[in-house]
Amino acid sequence: MTSEKRDLRAPPPVEPLPPCAATCPAHTDVRGYVHAIARGNFEEAYRIAREPNPIPYICGKVCAHPCEDQCRRKDVDEPVAICALKRFVTERHDLGLGHAPGLSCAPPKDAKVAVVGSGPGGLTAAHDLARLGYRVTVFEAYPRLGGTMQVGIPLYRLPRETIDLEIAPLKELGIEFVTNMRVADVDGLFADGFKAVFLAVGSHVGARLRLPNADLPDVWLNTEFLRRVALGERIDLRHRKVLVLGGGNVAIDVARTAVRLGADRVSMAFLESDETMPAHPWEIEEAKEEGIEMFPGRTFKECVLDEGKVAGIKCVKVDFHGFKPDGAIDMEEFVDTEHILAADLIIFSIGQGPDLSFLPKDGSIAQTKRRAIQVDPVTLATTKAGVFAGGDAVTRVGFIIDAVAAGHRAARSIDAYLRGVDPQTVQPPDPAKLGTIQQKTLDHIRKLDREPLPKTDAALRRSTFDEVEHGYSETQAVRAALRCLTCGAGARVDPDKCIACLTCVRVCPFEVPGVDRGTAEVPVDYCQACGLCATECPAKAITMTLQSDEGVLRQVKLAIMRARSGGEPGIVGFACRYCAYSGESPEVVKAALPANVQVIDVLCSGKVYALYLLKAFEYGADGVFVAGCIVGECHNDKGNVHAGQRVAYVKKMLDDLGLNGARLEMFNTPPGECASLVEDVTRLASKVKELGASPVQPGRSN
Amino acid sequence: MKVSSNLEKILASGQFAATGELGPPKSAEAEAIKRKAALLKGLVDAVNITDNQTAIVRMSSIAVGIMLLQEGIEPTIQMTCRDRNRLAIQADLLGASALGIKNLLCLTGDHQKFGNHPTARGVYDLDSIQLVALVKALRDEKKFANGEAIETVEPRFFIGAAENPFADPFDYRPYRLAKKVAAGADFIQTQLIYNVPKFKEFMKRVVDLGIHEKCFILAGVGPIKSIGMARYMQNSVPGMDVPEDVIARLKGVPKEQVRKEGIKQCADIIQEMREIPGVRGVHVMAIEWEEAVQEILELAGLLPRPRL
Amino acid sequence: MIKAKQKPIAEIKALLAPYRNILILGCGTCVTISFAGGEKEVGLLASSLRIASAMDPGGQKIFSEQTVQRQCEWEFIDAVAEQINQADAVLSLACGIGVQALAERYPDKVILPGVNTTFLGMAVEHGVLVERCRACGDCILGLTGGVCPIARCAKNLLNGPCGGSQRGKCEVNPETDCAWQLIYDRLGKLGQLDRLSSLMTYKDWSKDYDGGPRKIVREDIKL
Repeated sequence: MTSEKRDLRAPPPVEPLPPCAATCPAHTDVRGYVHAIARGNFEEAYRIAREPNPIPYICGKVCAHPCEDQCRRKDVDEPVAICALKRFVTERHDLGLGHAPGLSCAPPKDAKVAVVGSGPGGLTAAHDLARLGYRVTVFEAYPRLGGTMQVGIPLYRLPRETIDLEIAPLKELGIEFVTNMRVADVDGLFADGFKAVFLAVGSHVGARLRLPNADLPDVWLNTEFLRRVALGERIDLRHRKVLVLGGGNVAIDVARTAVRLGADRVSMAFLESDETMPAHPWEIEEAKEEGIEMFPGRTFKECVLDEGKVAGIKCVKVDFHGFKPDGAIDMEEFVDTEHILAADLIIFSIGQGPDLSFLPKDGSIAQTKRRAIQVDPVTLATTKAGVFAGGDAVTRVGFIIDAVAAGHRAARSIDAYLRGVDPQTVQPPDPAKLGTIQQKTLDHIRKLDREPLPKTDAALRRSTFDEVEHGYSETQAVRAALRCLTCGAGARVDPDKCIACLTCVRVCPFEVPGVDRGTAEVPVDYCQACGLCATECPAKAITMTLQSDEGVLRQVKLAIMRARSGGEPGIVGFACRYCAYSGESPEVVKAALPANVQVIDVLCSGKVYALYLLKAFEYGADGVFVAGCIVGECHNDKGNVHAGQRVAYVKKMLDDLGLNGARLEMFNTPPGECASLVEDVTRLASKVKELGASPVQPGRSN
Repeated sequence: MKVSSNLEKILASGQFAATGELGPPKSAEAEAIKRKAALLKGLVDAVNITDNQTAIVRMSSIAVGIMLLQEGIEPTIQMTCRDRNRLAIQADLLGASALGIKNLLCLTGDHQKFGNHPTARGVYDLDSIQLVALVKALRDEKKFANGEAIETVEPRFFIGAAENPFADPFDYRPYRLAKKVAAGADFIQTQLIYNVPKFKEFMKRVVDLGIHEKCFILAGVGPIKSIGMARYMQNSVPGMDVPEDVIARLKGVPKEQVRKEGIKQCADIIQEMREIPGVRGVHVMAIEWEEAVQEILELAGLLPRPRL
Repeated sequence: MIKAKQKPIAEIKALLAPYRNILILGCGTCVTISFAGGEKEVGLLASSLRIASAMDPGGQKIFSEQTVQRQCEWEFIDAVAEQINQADAVLSLACGIGVQALAERYPDKVILPGVNTTFLGMAVEHGVLVERCRACGDCILGLTGGVCPIARCAKNLLNGPCGGSQRGKCEVNPETDCAWQLIYDRLGKLGQLDRLSSLMTYKDWSKDYDGGPRKIVREDIKL
C-alpha cells in the first residue's frame, strides 16, 4: 500500500512505519531508540535497537544505513545520524546487563539445524533458532567466524574485538561453532541428523575481467586480498604503486587497505563518473582524504607490461550509462582517449559472487541464471526440501543488514517447516510506509546541523589499521537524536470527543491539522509530535502516541517523592531537552542541582499541560518550574510561549487558592547557558523555602 | 407657528435667539431652583432643564420646568431615552403639556455607566429620533405611539433635538441632522463649540442640504472656567473638540484672569456664531456658573432680550 | 455560540462549602469551545479544588469528574444518572441551560453553576470572545449591513449613532467599536447608505425576553 493512494486525512488502517523503519530490512524501530536517546533513556534505546538485530555493535559501526537515505529529515536539511546513534547506544550499553536484556528463550527442542556460514545471515538465523530452542551448529569454512564481516571488512572500519563481542553471547546460547570446515555435502548434513539447513555462504569469489595479461602474479582479486589481510597475513606494499579497478564500496576497502599496507601510491579507476561512483559518499570522501586518487569514466583494455612485469592498465575514457538487464555494459567510448594508468599491482574489485561449487551435483538445489542460489522470495526455501538460503549467496551483493533480515526470515521458515506449518504463513507482511511531508510543514521545521562523527585525522590514520571513526559523546548523541522528526508517532484525534473548535488547527506550528470533514484530523504523515494540540485541546480529544498524561503524572508523583526525600523544599521541574540544558549533558546539569530538586525531561516545554503543574502541587510539591528555550528559539515555534502562558495562568490559580503563585516559575534558558538554569532553580528553591512547605500534603485529599 | 412658545416666536421673527441652561439640584430643595431662576430671569429666551444629566440623579426636569413657569421663566424641558420606556415618556409628556410646558429637547442620554448609578438598567426603549417622531405624532396627528387616537386635547411641544457636530462619523452628521428634522425636529441645540472652523464646515454642509431652512439651529456655547476644566473637556468628555489655541488663549493670561478671559472668549465665539449662515441663535451653557451668563450676553451684545 | 467564563474559585468554593462528595460535570459543546467548562477545565478545576480541600482544615471533600457531550439534552444527562446520584452536589460547568436541565432532571439534587454564562458570540481571534447577538427574536441584520445594533450598541439605537461616537469607538468602552460607525461603513460599502435616511421605527420588544421566556414549537418535527 503506497501512501499516494491513501487518504492522508483519515487514520491509516494499518499503522504505517516511518521510512527509516520501513526501509530497514530488519524493520528496526529506529524512531523508538532515537526517541529514547533524546529522552536520556540510553539502556531503553539499546534494548529497542537490539531487539531485531543480534549484531547491533557491528551494525553501529559499519551498517550501510539505508534508513538514513529515506529519513524524512533529509527534506529539511540532512538525515538523522541513525547509524551513529546505534553506535552510541552500543558503546554506552552496560554488558553486565547482558547482550540481549529482555529477550527470552524457549525450552529446548530436540531438532538439530545446520547453518552453513557464520556471516551476518548465518549468525542471525542461528541466534533466532537457538532462542526458539533448536540445537544449532554453525559451519564456517574460514579459520575465523564472521563471514564477510571478518574477511571482507577492513579492521579500520570494524575491529575484530567487536565481532568477538557479538559472537560470545551466541556461544552462550548454546550454538556450536565449527571453523575451518567447508561444507561440501549438503545431503550429508541430513544424514548427520540435521533436520534443516540454512545456506548462508556469502559472496567470497571476486570477479575478474578477461583482459590480456590479467593472469599475471601482480594482478590480484579483491576478495582474496582482503581475506589474506583479515586472516593475519602481513602483506608489505611499500614502494608499490597500486591501481584498484572498480568504484564500489569493496574497491574502496581494497584501496584504503593498500594505503595502510604502505603502498607508495594508490589509485582507483572505474566505469562510473565522479557523480555516479557507486561507493558510499562518505567512504569516497575518507578515501580521498587518505590520498587515494580517483580515475572515473574508464574502461579497461589490457594490462600492459614492462619487462614482463605489470606496469599499468591501458584505459579508454567512456560515458557510462549503467548495466543492461542482461548484465551487459551500456556505454560509449570516447575516440582517441587511449592512455595508460601506471601501476605495478592491479587489484580487481569489480564485483564478487558466491562459491556454489559445494552444491549437490544433481542440481537438486537450483541456481539462478546469475549464479546464485535460487529461493522462494518469501520463505527463502531452495528447491530442496528442508534447505533454505539467504544473504549474499542469494542476492550476490547486499548489506549486512539485508543478511540479518534474511537470517530472521530463514529462521521463521525453518521453525515453521519443522513444526509442519507452511512457511509462507509465518512471514509478516511488508509494512506500509509513511509518505513525504507536505512542503508547508517542511518550511516550518527548524534546521539543525547534523554533526559528523569524529574521525581520526587522515594523515594519522593512513598508517594504521586502528578504527577511523569514533562514536558520539553523550551530548552529541542527545543533540543528534533531537533532530528526529518522530515520524508517525504524533497526535491521535478521538472523533467522538472532538467538537471541531479549531484550536488544534490554530495552534499547530506546522500547519498539519485540518477540520474539513466535521472533526479534526491530524495526518499521521505530517505530524511532528510537538504536543501543542494535545495540551491546548479543550475537549481532551487528542492524545500523543509517545506521551500519555497518566505516564507523565506517574513520573511527577515519583519525582515529588524523590525530591522530598532529598530535603526541603521539594521542587519538581519540567525541563525541555532541546535547550534547557543548552547542549550540556542533562546528567551533568542535574548533578549540579541539589537532591531536593527533581527534573522531568520533556521534548519541548509546549508539552507541559497545565494539569501537570496543578497536579504537582496536588501531590505535594513545594515548588514547581518549567524550563524551556528563550522566545524565538523554540524547536516548535511557540511551544515555549504557550508554556509561559499556561504557567502564568496556573500561577494566578495558585494565588486564588491561597497557595501563592510564587511557588511556580517559568525559566527560559538562553542557548549555551545552562548555568543560568541552575541559578534560576536555586533562586526558586530559596524563595520556596521562605514560603515554607506547601500546606497541601498528599494523602489527605483524594 | 406651532406652539407659540416665547422661543418659537423669537426664532420665527428672525431674531438671534439666546437660550440658557439650568442644572437641577441633587436634592428635593425647591429654594435652589428659585435661586438659580433669579440668576437667569430676563437674560434668555428660554431655559433648558437637564434630565439626569450624565446619568446622575437630579430633581426631575419636568418638575423644575413647572417651578420655572411659576417664576415667570419659559422652560425647555429635556427628556432622555435612557430612563423611561414609551409608556412613561408619553405619560410624562401629557402631564408636562397639561401643566403649560411648551419646549422639549429630545435626547438619547449618556450611558448609565457614566453616572452615579452605573449598575442600573438602561431602558433605551426608543432612541432620540424615534422620540422626536413620537412627539410630532402626538402633536400633529393626535396619535399615541401605538397609533391610537388622542380623544381630546393633544400635547403640543416645540420640538428640539441635539446634535454634536464633532462626533463621528463626521461626514454623516449633517445627514443625521436632516433625519432628525425630517422626523419632526423644530429646533436644534448643538454640543458646546470651541472649534469654530470645524463648526463652520459642518454648517456649510447643513446649509447645502437646506436643513437650516427647515429648522432653527442654535449653537452651543459656554465659558471655560479654568485650564483644568478645558483639559478635562478635551480629554475626558466624548464628543468634545477643544482645540489647543482655545486653551492657549487662557494660558496667555495670569491665573486670576482666566475666568474673565473665559467669559470674553465665550462672547467672542458668540460673535463668530452670529456671522455663520444658518445659525439662528446660541444656547449658553454656563455649567455651575449661571452668574456668568449676564456678562457673556452683555459682551456679545445680545442684551436686552426682545419682548414679544 | 454561547460563551461562558468560569466563576472565580473563591465563589465556587463558597458554593461548595456545605457539601462533601462533589461531581464536577463538564459539557462538551459551547463551554468547551469557550475554554470554560470542557473536559480540560473539569480536570484543572478538580485539581484546584482538591488543592483547596487539602488546605482546608475543616473537612475534606471528594471530587469526581465527568464530561458529557451536551448538558442540554436529556439523553446525555440521563446517561450519568449514577454518578449524579452518588454525589452530594453537582458542580455543573455547563451554561445556564445545562444547569437548569440538570436541576429539572434531578430535582432532589443540589445543582450548582460553576460558570457564568455571559453572551452569544464568537471568537474573533483565538482566545478573544465577543458578543454578537442578543437573541431579540426579530432580526434586522438585513437592514443594517450585517451589524447588530441591539447586541453591539450599548443604547440599542435603531437610528444611531449617538453623540458619543468618537473615532469609531463607543463612549461606553473605548475598545468597543461603535456599532453605528460599523453600520455606516458597511452600508456605504454596499451602496445602501440611503437606508439611513428613513426612520427605523420602534422595536417590538415583545419578541425579546421582555415578552416573557420564549418558546418555539415545531409541529412538523415533533415525534
